[in-house]
Amino acid sequence: MITIDHVSKHYQMGTVTVTALQDVSLQVNKGEFVVILGPSGSGKTTLLNMLSALDRPTIGKISINGQDITSASRTDHFKFRRETIGFIFQSFNLFPSLTALENVQFAVDMRGNGNHRNGSRAAIAQEVLTQVGLGERVRHFPHELSGGEQQRVAIARALAMGNPILLADEPTGELDFRTGIQILQLLQEQALNGKTVLVVTHNREISRVADRVVELSSGQIVRDGPPQGGKAAISDLHW
Amino acid sequence: MRQVQFWLRWSWRDLKARWLQVLAIGIIIALGTGVFSGFGGQKKWRIHSLDESYERLNTYDLRMTLTDGSYLEKEALLDTLRDVNGVTGVESRLIIATQVDASQDDETILVQGEIVGVDVAAGGPHINQLYRNQGRDFTEDDSGQNVAIVEYKFAKHYDLKPGDALHISGDIPLDFVGTGQSSEYFYIIPAEGVFLGEASYAVLFMPLETVQNIARREGLVNSVVMTLEDGVDRKAVEAEIETRMAQAFPDTGFEMNTRQEDNIYKLAYSDAENDQVTWDIIAYLFLIGAAMGAFNLAGRMVEAQRRQIGIGMALGVPRFWIAFRPLLVGLQIAISGMVFGLIFGAILSTVFGNIVKDFAPLPYWIIELDMATFLRAAVVGFLLPFVATLIPTIRAVRVNPIDAIQSGTLVAKGGGWTKLLNYLPIPGRSFARMPFRNILRAPWRTTLTILGVAVAITLMVMFVGFLDTFVATMDEADEALLGRGGNRVQVNLNFFYPVDTPNIQALDDLKTAEGEPLLAETEPRLMLGGTLKRGDTEIPTMLELVKMDSPIWRPTFVEGSLKAGEDGIVLSEKAAKDLEVEVGDTITLEHPLREGTFSFRMMSSEVRVTAIHNNPMRSLNYMDMSSAGMMGLEGQTNLLVVTPSQYANVNDIKRALFSQPGVSSVVGVQEYLDAFDEVLRLFTLFLRVVQIVVLFMAFLIAFNSTSINVDERVREIATMFAFGLPVRTVTRMQIVENILIGIFGTLVGLLAGWLLLQRFLAARVEDQLEDINLVIVLAPTTILISLLLGVLVVALTPILSIRRMLRMDIPSTIRYVE
Repeated sequence: MITIDHVSKHYQMGTVTVTALQDVSLQVNKGEFVVILGPSGSGKTTLLNMLSALDRPTIGKISINGQDITSASRTDHFKFRRETIGFIFQSFNLFPSLTALENVQFAVDMRGNGNHRNGSRAAIAQEVLTQVGLGERVRHFPHELSGGEQQRVAIARALAMGNPILLADEPTGELDFRTGIQILQLLQEQALNGKTVLVVTHNREISRVADRVVELSSGQIVRDGPPQGGKAAISDLHW
Repeated sequence: MRQVQFWLRWSWRDLKARWLQVLAIGIIIALGTGVFSGFGGQKKWRIHSLDESYERLNTYDLRMTLTDGSYLEKEALLDTLRDVNGVTGVESRLIIATQVDASQDDETILVQGEIVGVDVAAGGPHINQLYRNQGRDFTEDDSGQNVAIVEYKFAKHYDLKPGDALHISGDIPLDFVGTGQSSEYFYIIPAEGVFLGEASYAVLFMPLETVQNIARREGLVNSVVMTLEDGVDRKAVEAEIETRMAQAFPDTGFEMNTRQEDNIYKLAYSDAENDQVTWDIIAYLFLIGAAMGAFNLAGRMVEAQRRQIGIGMALGVPRFWIAFRPLLVGLQIAISGMVFGLIFGAILSTVFGNIVKDFAPLPYWIIELDMATFLRAAVVGFLLPFVATLIPTIRAVRVNPIDAIQSGTLVAKGGGWTKLLNYLPIPGRSFARMPFRNILRAPWRTTLTILGVAVAITLMVMFVGFLDTFVATMDEADEALLGRGGNRVQVNLNFFYPVDTPNIQALDDLKTAEGEPLLAETEPRLMLGGTLKRGDTEIPTMLELVKMDSPIWRPTFVEGSLKAGEDGIVLSEKAAKDLEVEVGDTITLEHPLREGTFSFRMMSSEVRVTAIHNNPMRSLNYMDMSSAGMMGLEGQTNLLVVTPSQYANVNDIKRALFSQPGVSSVVGVQEYLDAFDEVLRLFTLFLRVVQIVVLFMAFLIAFNSTSINVDERVREIATMFAFGLPVRTVTRMQIVENILIGIFGTLVGLLAGWLLLQRFLAARVEDQLEDINLVIVLAPTTILISLLLGVLVVALTPILSIRRMLRMDIPSTIRYVE
């Protein structure tokens, strides 16, 4: 379970103090598919950064599965990310020198399944890639894949970590509608499989398929609940 | 104007963002151009200084040296030569080998040397004048007095000053009145042809009459120096002298040489010429290294801006202005490289000048700034980074804007040769594979980095290989000279004496202070100067006549043999190679033939090469003592080889024999090698400095490469951090990548260094040191150290990037697009 308790984040820009988050409190349960929605500058990415222990709140506390990550050391943050979080980025951030298979295998390695031999690690990676529909493209390098394929590799990489929480930052931001739908479907499936999925987006349409939508504006939660108009099927989406 | 300011401001920000890399590349270029400009003009000022020194000391045009052991009446000789057509000045000298004791309270200084008796009348000597460094000049009143001016390099080496104690063979005390230099002794190479150096060979200038008295050669001389009219036909002068000498002194042999034929003169000038070629090659290698570094950085910097260039093109900005920004950074590098290069060059030039001054001091130095070389270096230092920026900039502005704009365009893709690794599976985790992938993903960049490192290692290997070669050659000389007679002492006599003369017989009875026998064994030998000839090849030699069944020491043969009582000659490998002869062939030996007590003439005899010995010194060649009759010296000796008894050491022998009549010098055979070691020590010191410079260059190239890698892969690194990969693992991956670059660079460098060493030594050094058979080797330790240093220095540079990675703003970097 993710617990965000009265979290604020202030940045000092010269003499000016900028408030990115203001007294945000939130709880996310295991297996929930949550969309954090808001326009640019609303604080959604700041919140994601703190959830992933890439940044610390100025005030407040964040606990994940009972572990307080706000006061943890830098080393503990690395360990936390390794063992708890799976990342999906807007611009994929695949390693260009590794093939699709190796990019995913990187995550298997990260997870520390050190007992696996090279062959079995590759088999795990192959399996995850097959799950995301890229079983035939494993030997390709990122620049040889389309944007959607690259994002699917990125999802496979996040899944291969085997971690309970998936954080996706604008995962469809650089994709066309059809590909974006496929990606959302994949993410939704992960939630159904018991993973906690948090998707940050400014695209209100995407929020329609979430279990829950947390809407941010000027660093504050302005709405928290199911999608307006009820949860939609992915096939109903259009943007 | 505003537009220019705008672009200048922008490029200034580019510079600030990469100031460390720009500085590093500036310094790399500075090392290249600095070496180029610093060493480029040395030949000019060295030759100018030599010209000036030779002229101002009124160095002889023609020198006559009587055959070893020959002396002539001074006045009779001068009368014969004085009115030869074209001769403008004649002065005679008496040069005698001696032992010099310059021991100070805290140091025993007992070395072999020579006393040079010169004409001190009317402010003389007038030909081959003495340049006074310390103390006073000779006056006419000094004639017949035991006063000496000590050759400057020997005095400097032992920090001797006028007034210090000074003795020569026969325990004769001398009044040390000054130190000075003469053009015949700009380098100290004694007659034996073995390079001893100033540490173990002393030259003392003394009034002629004094030397005549000390040597008991009253009124006699053995050397003449002459000056000639400008433009005179030297051959005609020499012919006239030969005719007159044949008439006046038919039984006395002599040799003549011009200033230009003087070994010291040739060495001084060829040294300057050859050194220049050496430094030019080194400078070009440095420049190539700098070029690799410049192209690497500039190319990657421009690529980093390619997306911005694409945006500029999409916005319709003229290509000229788009190219202006990266070119300005190139300009900044060019200016910093040029400025640093000139400063570095000036420093190097001064340091090098001081080393040369110290190694081979001349009385007159004209170290001038060679503007042409400096300007050339400045132009090269400027053009190198500018061209390095220009080429990728032109490429960048010629692509389609849409291609340039695309995200990921600037980053080296996963293509390149990475697919090769699909056929070469690397075990382990993906982290282990990534460095190999990174190496292959941008083969051109990797190659440039590897070549940059390789150039630095090449330079290092070449220099240290130089040293290894000298050490190996010396080891071979060690083995040949020492063998099982390593404790033997050579006692040079001042003339030829019958072996049964009482003075020589008395040596066997010498005792130590404790009354114990001083010597264990004594063996008479002969040492003679001569020339080996075959076809057009002539090699000067010091021929030693040894008992080939000597229990003390005899040469070690690598081929053939010569037994006691047999005729024939044992040649050094180098002499045999240069004469193109093998065992069994016959050569012509020009050697002295005794005609009277004090007169020798040179004659030619055909001798058979019966063996080849293992000493790398070409001039050392041997015959059996039974061949002495060929020289008219049967039963005579001028060299005794002795071994200390169990109660004495070399110094005891030196001290005891120092005062013995007829002994000119006493040298432990080990001293020859110690002297060479001393020369080598200076050389080593210099090489160490160069080694540090090239290592610094390798470090800078590697640092730049790593630093650029971190810049280029910053997003990948941030992503790894986001996935929880620790900094140490990322650093380890970079280290592995650099180890690979280091290994490839070092291997290429080792290979290139070895090839250059061979070609370089074969082509240049053997020309320069024609008397030595160089054993070209690269010691295993050199290979190991090069590998370790090359790989380590390059491998450890990522550690310098740890701070940057620790301070990385991960969220911003992840989201950062280009």
